[in-house]
Amino acid sequence: MRKIGARKLVTAMIAVGILVLASACSSSSPNASTAGNTEISADTAGTVRVLMEGVPDTDIVKGLLAEFNAKYPKIDVQIEPIAYDQIRDKIVASFQATDPTYDMAIIDNPWMGDFAKAGFLKPLDDLIASTANYDYNDFSAPLRAIGEVDGKTYGVPFYNYGLGLIYRTDLLSAAGIAEPTTLDALAAAAKSLNSAARAGIAMQPQRGYKAFEEWGNYLFAAGGSIYGSDGLVHLNTPEAKKALNTYIAMYKSSAPKNSLNWAFDEALRSVSSDKSAMMVSYNWMLPTLNKKDGPAGALAGKFKLATMPGGKQVLGSWDWAIPANSKVSDAAWAFISWITSKEGEAARVSAGGAPARTGVLTDPAVSNTGGGAEYYATVGKILSNAEPLCKGANCDEMINAVGTELNAAIAGLKSVDSALAAAEEQANKIQSE
Amino acid sequence: MSFRARMMIPLLVVFVAAIGYPLISSFVLSLTNYRITRRDETKFVAFAQYQDVLQDHAYWSALAVTGTFIVFAVVLELSIGLMIALALQNQRRFRDFSRSFLLSPMFVTPIAVGLMFRFLLNQQLGAIPAILEKVGITYDFFGPGRAIYSMVVIDVWQWTPFMVLLLLAGLESLSKQPFEAAKVDGASPFYTFRRVTVPMLAPILTVAVLIRSLDASKVFEYVYAITRGGPGTETQTIQYFTYQTGIQFFRLGKASAMSYLLLIMVISLVILLFKRIEKARLVS
Amino acid sequence: MTRSKITIRKHFEPWHLAGNTLLVGAFIAVAAPFLWVFLGSFKTGTQLNNPTLILFSPNLANWTHVLETGILQAAFRSVIVGLITVSIAIIVGSMGAYSISRYKTGGSTARFGILTAQVLPPAILVFPFLDLAYRMRVNGTLVSVVAAHISLVLPVVTWFLIGFFDAAPKEVEEQALVDGLDRFAAFRKVVLPQVAPGIGASAIFGFVISWNDLFYALILSPGNSATLPVRIAGFNTFRGVELGAMCAAILVSVIPVLIASFFIQRRLVQGISGGAVKF
Repeated sequence: MRKIGARKLVTAMIAVGILVLASACSSSSPNASTAGNTEISADTAGTVRVLMEGVPDTDIVKGLLAEFNAKYPKIDVQIEPIAYDQIRDKIVASFQATDPTYDMAIIDNPWMGDFAKAGFLKPLDDLIASTANYDYNDFSAPLRAIGEVDGKTYGVPFYNYGLGLIYRTDLLSAAGIAEPTTLDALAAAAKSLNSAARAGIAMQPQRGYKAFEEWGNYLFAAGGSIYGSDGLVHLNTPEAKKALNTYIAMYKSSAPKNSLNWAFDEALRSVSSDKSAMMVSYNWMLPTLNKKDGPAGALAGKFKLATMPGGKQVLGSWDWAIPANSKVSDAAWAFISWITSKEGEAARVSAGGAPARTGVLTDPAVSNTGGGAEYYATVGKILSNAEPLCKGANCDEMINAVGTELNAAIAGLKSVDSALAAAEEQANKIQSE
Repeated sequence: MSFRARMMIPLLVVFVAAIGYPLISSFVLSLTNYRITRRDETKFVAFAQYQDVLQDHAYWSALAVTGTFIVFAVVLELSIGLMIALALQNQRRFRDFSRSFLLSPMFVTPIAVGLMFRFLLNQQLGAIPAILEKVGITYDFFGPGRAIYSMVVIDVWQWTPFMVLLLLAGLESLSKQPFEAAKVDGASPFYTFRRVTVPMLAPILTVAVLIRSLDASKVFEYVYAITRGGPGTETQTIQYFTYQTGIQFFRLGKASAMSYLLLIMVISLVILLFKRIEKARLVS
Repeated sequence: MTRSKITIRKHFEPWHLAGNTLLVGAFIAVAAPFLWVFLGSFKTGTQLNNPTLILFSPNLANWTHVLETGILQAAFRSVIVGLITVSIAIIVGSMGAYSISRYKTGGSTARFGILTAQVLPPAILVFPFLDLAYRMRVNGTLVSVVAAHISLVLPVVTWFLIGFFDAAPKEVEEQALVDGLDRFAAFRKVVLPQVAPGIGASAIFGFVISWNDLFYALILSPGNSATLPVRIAGFNTFRGVELGAMCAAILVSVIPVLIASFFIQRRLVQGISGGAVKF
């Protein structure tokens, strides 16, 4: 769009050009502190409009609004549920308007870098530090790292979508196989469980985001990583090659036939209708699969969640953020701090929400109502050693580029070596722009 | 002001507002390096974006994919549509019902058609592979080398009715005389079709092909619902590529240049086509 | 008449059979996906994963869910947007098309220009619309959707209408002018009725284009007043496709248009053939 007259942002962030961030491994945020001393006034007032995706976690938040208003009667939170693709476009438009349409936002992790650098979001460090009893370090470290861009925190974790291995306990024990702890063991297990009537593992090699999201787990299981210590993407490594070769071998021998374009939905349906024995998917699918009268029908209760072999997996998350041009930041922060507080989190997770704090995972009150103690223990392991696919600028584009190359290799259109080399080259080029 | 000018004014006003403004706005955008998330870095770069696009392998690949799609889809739609239109014209009973029912695929929003076929053609969950398996056929609908043709089939399912509509209308508008003359002369159906029907239908055939081709060039929803451009980039059509570049990756300046280049190419093709038709008309 | 019918029948019997076979085939090809959608709308989540399940006891959960979440309102909004778009396109387009056809206004440039507006991908035009909507403060309404749909519909409609005016004989309006009507009155009272079927056909085409549009509506319509295609696309969530609900929503979107087309298609065919669209 051509320069639009005199539009000023409330906070101006000057883009710092080429930015490459060190890979986000556990690092305690230096800005957070457990000892804040400000109680947010119950008199805070305002109308807070927010776009949220039409998924169960949103319904749970909506269900908690009454409790929120008991404490803050003057804040009116208006949640607009909407489809994923609409969210990005609408909030971006709102960020740039002088008169914003939305006063609070949920941000998907690939957008975090771009939005923060564009100055769309308000830094939250001071708010976090000053809020009483907030205990920001209670949030899982990898999740906290997602909200941090250039040393400042722009988002507070809402819910995680970390992946894990979900498998059928009855099938595994019938075949005499133990829960796989190495990548090769996983491949072997998938192969033994594979039969004409049921695939060993439902895979999601769809070009772009899905292929990378799934394969990233295989990369970690092979002992590899996406970023090197220099902050650049390094995919032309022996671990990556092993991971991709194993993935392709599994796709050919143990995955459902003709499933090259499969994404989340197909894999879920395959597993829940007994047409696949395992899948790598979001950790919160487990309670859904094990739910009586849920999508898995008669198979409910037979599923177990495990970390990926090797213990590290891919992480994604949605974060709460306050737009830089929001005129009701106080009210927005009141809500955010309430819903993400220990109490708010406990209530949300008990109702079935996906956790972001580590404390709730060992809280018996929560785990007894949610998915069970064993499930939460595994989630804790998942969240303690997880990494998003991308950190920094232009993440959507980077993920798509890598995912395209991966899918081409899986489809047999390219060799593993050339695909990984191309993926690395494009990823670094994209992230350096 | 003359009558004819006054009649044009409402059209011009609406055209400029609804079409001209976004067109010009995007053209200006294409001359910059505008990125939605880097507005502060926006600067005028003249035709650098155009150069960039022309040198982008992926752009030409997307054009090739779209071109293949258009050719296969339109040829199939034209042939099947013509046959169906002829059959409908000769139909004696249940005309209204069969015509309106056969038109129905046009009325389903394309994203729904895409999602429908995504599941219908799914190896484990879909009815069509289940039926094919019963006769021993396993076909990878969205696999390498095949996905784009599956997209063609979906397009044919949805848009052949459009061709049927146009061609049926064309057939019914033809005067009966030449047909009766051919019959009196004892011409075979083949001959009648080749020498009488087709030439008389030529104008409407051209219109149908033109409009359907322009429409097919914008194919997006099927790709979005099913393959997201895969395998590799085999179903990355130009509209999908532009969408990803401009909206998903926030590079609006570059995406605008992509669209304008496409516009120039299509206008040139259309002008060439028109000129040839004019020449043909003058000759006959 | 009867004699030629018999002659035709004797002559074309095998063709007739071939034709009917083709129609049956086409019928099956069209009906099969709809049948799947119809059955799917009554299936539960687990039943949907079974591709060949045809006999089962129907479940109304999808229908209640879809109807409760405002699909009818979304359909209503689509109708309104479509009607407004088409009305503006027809009124404005018919006047301009008349000028271009009868008076050769703008020559071939006008004709090309209108057609090629069809080519530009919505992906590019959408942001200017969005930007303008914000600046004119109508971003909470469907106004920008109507504007965007006009950009989709106006070129096609105008183009068709030019063809219809081209095909309409000039004698009738010349007669009207001789009879003392001024040109606009002649246009209104004499020419328009002549091309009425063509206007009807163009209007229906235009309506279908607007009815089906997802792209503009997705980005430009406010979240709480989505049009029908957006609502249907909304069943494709991050947490999977709500297949059963989507099937019900598809039927809601198709059945009314199907019923309407039963009555309209005759006019539609007449209209287009009456214009014998040429150029």
